Amino acid sequence: MPYQLLRFALNKKYPEPCMFPTPERLKPRYDVVIIGGGGHGLACAYYLARDHGIRNVAVLEKSYIGAGGTGRNTAIVRSNYLTPEGVALYDESVRLFQDLSDDLDLNLFYSRRGHFTLAHSDASLRTMRWRAEVNKHLGVDSEVVDRQFIKAKCPEIDLDCGHNAPVMGALYHPPGAIARHDAVAWGYGRAACQRGVEIHQGTTVTGIRTEGDRVTAVETNRGVIETRCVLSAVAGYTPRITSMVGLRTPITVHPLQACVTEPLKPWLNVIMVSASLHIYVSQSSRGELVMGASLDPYEVHSTRSTLDFVEGLAGHLLELFPFLWDVKLLRQWAGLSDMTPDFSPIMGTTRIDGFLIDAGWGTWGFKATPVSGKTMAWTIAHGRDHDLVKPFRLSRFEEFDLVGEKGAASVGH
Amino acid sequence: MKLLRCPINGLRPIQEFYYGGEYRPMPDPDASTDAQWADYVFNRDGAPGVRLEWWYHLASGVWFLAEHDTARDVFLRTFLFEELGQG
Amino acid sequence: MSRRLAPQPGEWIDRNRPVTFRFEGRPYSGFAGDTITSALWAAGVRVLGRSFKYHRPRGLYGLDGSDSNAMFETRDVVNIRGDRAPIEEGMDLRAVNTFGGVERDRLRIMNRFGRFTPVGFYYKAFHRPRSLFPFFENQIRRVAGLGTVNSGKALRHTPKDYAFCDVLVIGAGPAGLAAALAAADAGARVLLVDESPRLGGSLTWHGNLDDSRDRLADALRRVEAHQRIQTRTATCVAGLYADGWAALIDRLRLTKLRARAVIVATGVFEQPAVFPHNDLPGVMFAGAAQRLIHHYAVLPAERPVIDTRPEGDSPAAALLKREGINLLAGRFIARARPAGGLAGIRGVELCRVDERGLPRIEQRAEQLACDAVVMSVGWTPNDTLLRMVGTRMEYSAEREQFLPVELPGGVFAAGKVNGLVGLEDRWADGLHAGQAAASALGFGAAPGGSRPAPAGPAINHPYPVSDPDEGKNFVDLDEDLQVKDFRNAIQEGFNSPELLKRYSTVGMGPSQGKHANLMALRVLAKERGEPLAGKQITTARPFSTPVALGHLAGRIFTPYRHTPAHAFHTERGARMMFAGTWLRPEYYEVVGKTREACIQEEALHVRGAVGLIDVGTLGKMELGGPDAVRFLERIYTGRFDNLKVGASRYGVACDESGVVIDDGVVARLGPDRFYVSTTTSGADAIYREWQRWALCWGLKVILNNATAHWGAMNLAGPRARQVLQPLVDISLAAADFPYMGVRECRLDGVPARVLRVGFVGELGYEIHVPAGHALGVWNRLMEAGRAADVRPFGVEAQRLLRLEKGHIIVSQDTDGLTQPFEAGLGWAVKMDKPFFIGQRSLKIHQRRPLKRTLVGFQTDEARPRTMPRENHLIIEGKEMIGRVTSIAYSPTLKRTIGLAYLPPSMTAPDTRFTIRADGGELVPAQVCRIPFYDPAGERQRMTTPEEDAR
Repeated sequence: MPYQLLRFALNKKYPEPCMFPTPERLKPRYDVVIIGGGGHGLACAYYLARDHGIRNVAVLEKSYIGAGGTGRNTAIVRSNYLTPEGVALYDESVRLFQDLSDDLDLNLFYSRRGHFTLAHSDASLRTMRWRAEVNKHLGVDSEVVDRQFIKAKCPEIDLDCGHNAPVMGALYHPPGAIARHDAVAWGYGRAACQRGVEIHQGTTVTGIRTEGDRVTAVETNRGVIETRCVLSAVAGYTPRITSMVGLRTPITVHPLQACVTEPLKPWLNVIMVSASLHIYVSQSSRGELVMGASLDPYEVHSTRSTLDFVEGLAGHLLELFPFLWDVKLLRQWAGLSDMTPDFSPIMGTTRIDGFLIDAGWGTWGFKATPVSGKTMAWTIAHGRDHDLVKPFRLSRFEEFDLVGEKGAASVGH
Repeated sequence: MKLLRCPINGLRPIQEFYYGGEYRPMPDPDASTDAQWADYVFNRDGAPGVRLEWWYHLASGVWFLAEHDTARDVFLRTFLFEELGQG
Repeated sequence: MSRRLAPQPGEWIDRNRPVTFRFEGRPYSGFAGDTITSALWAAGVRVLGRSFKYHRPRGLYGLDGSDSNAMFETRDVVNIRGDRAPIEEGMDLRAVNTFGGVERDRLRIMNRFGRFTPVGFYYKAFHRPRSLFPFFENQIRRVAGLGTVNSGKALRHTPKDYAFCDVLVIGAGPAGLAAALAAADAGARVLLVDESPRLGGSLTWHGNLDDSRDRLADALRRVEAHQRIQTRTATCVAGLYADGWAALIDRLRLTKLRARAVIVATGVFEQPAVFPHNDLPGVMFAGAAQRLIHHYAVLPAERPVIDTRPEGDSPAAALLKREGINLLAGRFIARARPAGGLAGIRGVELCRVDERGLPRIEQRAEQLACDAVVMSVGWTPNDTLLRMVGTRMEYSAEREQFLPVELPGGVFAAGKVNGLVGLEDRWADGLHAGQAAASALGFGAAPGGSRPAPAGPAINHPYPVSDPDEGKNFVDLDEDLQVKDFRNAIQEGFNSPELLKRYSTVGMGPSQGKHANLMALRVLAKERGEPLAGKQITTARPFSTPVALGHLAGRIFTPYRHTPAHAFHTERGARMMFAGTWLRPEYYEVVGKTREACIQEEALHVRGAVGLIDVGTLGKMELGGPDAVRFLERIYTGRFDNLKVGASRYGVACDESGVVIDDGVVARLGPDRFYVSTTTSGADAIYREWQRWALCWGLKVILNNATAHWGAMNLAGPRARQVLQPLVDISLAAADFPYMGVRECRLDGVPARVLRVGFVGELGYEIHVPAGHALGVWNRLMEAGRAADVRPFGVEAQRLLRLEKGHIIVSQDTDGLTQPFEAGLGWAVKMDKPFFIGQRSLKIHQRRPLKRTLVGFQTDEARPRTMPRENHLIIEGKEMIGRVTSIAYSPTLKRTIGLAYLPPSMTAPDTRFTIRADGGELVPAQVCRIPFYDPAGERQRMTTPEEDAR
């Protein structure tokens, strides 16, 4: 029994203080205002305070901490991307994630499981090899494996895949992990608050004031705050915020649905993804199978659930794991994905002085939570884009200098 | 499953349709600056609200336009391209 | 000890049909009509399962299928909800999530460690040192989870069904029955659905059945006789979606229903009284006790007490009292006294209540000996479906419950979900909803008068909680959450409904919080000092009741396409591969030969003799009309207005950002008539986008996606003409039918379009015939070519042959960002045209330095020891400078050749570079000119020996 638990038993009163103590009122002025109290925004606040001594920071969250993509994703962490720029970014994120529970002193249930991306065709096997080669070159553990290897790691799988194209091989990424997604936001939020950051939940940004091309203040439902620096970290809400400063972006917003089954005793130890079958599945520490499939086919800013989604998902899942037919789906939900044309994020400074963006995280935002926080904090502190951020600047589109990551997406599109 | 009204085929399940993105008239390529052209190629009007979208009825190959409230996921009106600008 | 009662009027069991089954290794019997829970309870079994966290013994609780107390598994089926699942002969059941059986569960020790494991304890421990976490995680994973899935069993396919109706009525209690009758009387086609095996809802068990029996019988008679009412029992509406779309689940299948209007008459869920040990066997809801008696003729307990609001569920209380149950009034249960072990409870300690009815624990009243507590302290609307479709629910202080305040169009609510209690009110509300729904669809008149409104004192206890320091008092039995867990979570800052849910996991268990969420909100409101009144409750998610993946998957359709010549390929031993949605021959297997040998021989045979490949999967577009040529000029990067009738030309298509998305051959059949091939996987999207462009540009062009109308095959090799000439009614002589020509002719009487193409670099005729004739023509060519030794070849040989010619394959030699100048396709891009898609973006690209260029290469060794593969990287020092996109050993050239992206500075022939192959092996190579084979193109242009000989 770990000694931490003794503390609970020995205290008559529950010994834990409030994780997110926040003053009643907004201050009239902050050095930095972060819009969005999800993982990314809170991580940025934490690293601003910890690494750069910038503590007069407000995180404004219109709902509650982690209400958006942070609490709605399928909690997969990996770095087996396709472009060198992408791999470098996500690899740094995985590194930060591995130490994060200790860093934040909160158990995030960061659990290294091994991540398979199945290939059902020659063409997808080719893409897997491309990813593996780029990954290995950049020091990321990743390789193309054959059917026997997959079967050994996951004996339950049917590699012949029902009536579908049989599995020919897979990209295997041993560091692939899952984590308790909400806890990431809580951990960053708590650690940021401990360092003086204020988190204001229930605070909606209604406007951003600029003079010339410079940010001067943020208008909220609770009053106006002066600031010279605003970071928008609001994922699916990005177009609403960018339109406040007259910025146009390529972001389109599609719902991404996910679901869990009733809890089962552990049997699936790896993360299994098939991009051709549009399915990804892992088993949480609670025993639920956590699953996702494709983006919703059209743009809508609503997190409604559809039947088509689970019908398609169930069919494909049973082709890989036919014995799951009696397992019941318990809950279904959706989040808003801010998609970009090249499947890479949009980060860094913009042509509006003092307005920074951390967006375009589409279906790949959770895994980048630590690195986006850390590099955006650096970018804010130094007034210029961090090296890892540069390739993902908003201006890459008008420069026709995209970072093509579609080949590394797990989610069907 | 939602229903969508194809101007030719009537009310059909939305699975029969393909979403063709926001309606964006192409600017004159020769009169556009590089920045204006890149804006047309890449940038989108991603904020929620009522906007004009392209939809395609897969079974019959009919393209048409829809006024879609992307905040509430409600289709207000669908009509053929030829009727654009006729109210 | 049997608890079965004498026959009850209207009971659901069939005493003439005994059913035997096993539970935890012991034999039991019940009757047809029993659920697992009722049969076990009748047999005197008290402990049906163990709780999730503390492994406390649990018994019958809600008997409504939602709680996790009665969850079982067999060898093949996991997480069976015993409250609803009927017993089946020979079932061999055990409780889920025990370690050593439900009676001797080794983890029952967890109950003693509650102080060590408060809410969210796992976030605070086990992560330091990091190296130990995997150990703890494994332990946690082992104890988490409910049932054990059997991974050895085969897939059971279930069908799916579709249904349609005007009005869907969900719930066949009094409100639902009235609504169905009213809507049907008005002229609507009604589908009445109930999750119970019989219609009637609470009329079959609740309150004074002597009063309701006649009404029920009359209603059932009318429903049954009604032409326009269909009923489905034992059917759950698991999901309700936009536009009247509903997921109906029964034992056999998922039925997808389209209803024009929906009436939700789903009643209520009972809410627990919270006091220490309120989870032990014997503590149950009043509804469960009544259903036990009336449906299954089972005595709930020997000496129960009923805990109810005096003015609350008085019919239930009266009825149960008649069954010999002590009624509590003006007092509250301070705590139950555990009997220890498996025996449940042995009594309760009571306390007084204040003027608002809230318990005052410090004011002790008497103790009562009992073996059960029957709870009736309030309800919450079963509003899951209502909230799923976007109904706004608001807390009413007056009624102490959530009530619907705004319904979406086409959705109606009736009965108890509207907070109505009295039977007459509920019936009237049902009639009103039925008429309203029907009239909204144009059937009958709108209902006169107004809906009945909830009246009388609130039947819901505002805060039925006894929260002393000692003893576990549960709010969420699924997740083993007590009041103090919520207090602690709130203290830690999880002080909004969503944060509280996410931190405490309330409502995340099998019941999805049906008995717990309201209580959690009440605790939150009390701790925060904010009243619940006026608060809204969030959207609900599917499903209302969990649904098996097999039901959702159905039969699993995975459509794929055969080309017309498919039968030939399979007979000839082709290894088939998926190409998009098509199956194509990868190569033809020859016994005793390796895959590579087969492919190389096929390729050599094309070079040396003649081969036939099925290219029927290519997209085939027909274009007509006066603007057809202008259209093609705008679609493709090349020039087509100067293409002569009877000629064809290679075309490259870009998207608006200038990225290569497709290629194909454009053939001009007439001045205004074109036949265009596209890539296999691109065909549908290409056609779709062409239609849109044609519309936008207002061009007079007719487009026809003729992909499936035509079969196609490519006869290639020096002897191609010799094989084909006898079969066609045109001259194939080079002068009459030159390279890149196209002819319409008859082939053995069949109308055909023949293109002289050179993808594989030999004399070749791509023959297109109507799909129905394609297999015949194929066989005819094989037969006619016997003397010339024509042999079929597959996709792999074609890939090799085209590589020898340096022809790219879009999406293999290009990626999602490749523009034509990088891919060596600049020759096919006419930037001086007025317009083509992607041109403006390519102008921007042209002003920027190229980042990479596709070149041909060969390896130094003819056959490197470690053969590089496609997408192996080109390395210089520590840098990735390029990538191989295609590579193969060419048996014709006797060397290994390929295509690769390299920096533009390295594209000069003979430039040396290094490929990193498997295992880090470095393979030296050098840039070559392409085509590798027949650079002058003489062979495909045709001055073959046969031609010369003629």
